[in-house]
Amino acid sequence: MKISIINGSPKPGKSTTELMIEYLIPFISDNRVSVYHINRTNWDKIQFAEIGSCDVLIFAFPLYVDSIPAHMLSFLIELEKQKHLFRKKMIYCIINNGFYEGQQNHIALDQMKNWCSAMGLTWGQGIGIGAGEMLPFCKDIPLGHGPNKNIGRAFKELAYNINALDGGKDLFISPNWSRFLWKLQASFSFFYPQAKRNGLKKKDLFKQIHDEYF
Amino acid sequence: MNILIHDLGKQEFERLFHNTGENNHIISDRGFIKNCVGCFGCWIKTPGKCVIKDGYENLGEIFSRADNVIVISKCLYGGYSPFVKNILDRSISYLLPFFKIQNNETHHQKRYKNNFKFSTYFYGENLTLSEMATAKKLVRANSINFSASDYSVSFFESIVQLSEEINVL
Repeated sequence: MKISIINGSPKPGKSTTELMIEYLIPFISDNRVSVYHINRTNWDKIQFAEIGSCDVLIFAFPLYVDSIPAHMLSFLIELEKQKHLFRKKMIYCIINNGFYEGQQNHIALDQMKNWCSAMGLTWGQGIGIGAGEMLPFCKDIPLGHGPNKNIGRAFKELAYNINALDGGKDLFISPNWSRFLWKLQASFSFFYPQAKRNGLKKKDLFKQIHDEYF
Repeated sequence: MNILIHDLGKQEFERLFHNTGENNHIISDRGFIKNCVGCFGCWIKTPGKCVIKDGYENLGEIFSRADNVIVISKCLYGGYSPFVKNILDRSISYLLPFFKIQNNETHHQKRYKNNFKFSTYFYGENLTLSEMATAKKLVRANSINFSASDYSVSFFESIVQLSEEINVL
């Protein structure tokens, strides 16, 4: 079976989306899997035809402002223009967001389902993963263990359905980690240290800008 | 101040929306907007301001002046068009990186004091019920995340129909 994975991260380097794809691939490695990074690929008819001819198309991308990021939307529109190159296939989707609750990805999944309908393709299953920024910090913990317990379970189910060309209920997962701790760590282990590396003090992060533009 | 974000061409916008007053700030597609790359620069490098210098880096400050944010967008798959979405993606400097819990969900804390009303006007032929339902959910979620004081969602078959409805600016 031919599987195409679209990496919809706008980041040029490592990203949570890329990590999600790395997690999924071992589960579906009996198939011919190709990964396309929408920001690193020069899109032409050949690429669209390759994607159009696969049996399974998997989208992975981050959630921006409650929905599909702008650059990814442009890509979906482009795919719709090339609809004639698409044969019937199953669509699966993995979205990660910065908030703790994976549930907050449900609107982007609905958008993807609407895109599926516009394309005349079949929706398979979607996963919404919360606390996206935390996941690269847990990458050495095996899937299915500790904070990666829920994510391991979700990927197993998704991969089972992909391999069987089957559909499934969308899954929304948050990490097996306290939300209270996660919220504190976001400030004290992530944003403040990163700002410090940029020569900023804590109070600088609260800066309000007035009269610079107007 | 009213902030109007739209995805119409210059001539089309000027033809249909001729009554724009002084207290309105119009954000239109000048053809060179870059997309957010998720670098968090607007939070941890130049707080309050996007690090991509393409003329759209001050959206946080612009939003901080708004009493009303009005969006005119083509409805695509139950969401905004790429340009309008780009504006929203690039405007997260309006918020702080830090989180708060609201109705048992995490959201970003506010950077500024204002709370604008978020009014959205979608256009598009043959929108499906599913697309309209998704768009309603999206605008509601956006209004929560931007701490909007209120929000509204309307759908129109054409831009002309839309302009007749909202030509009150």
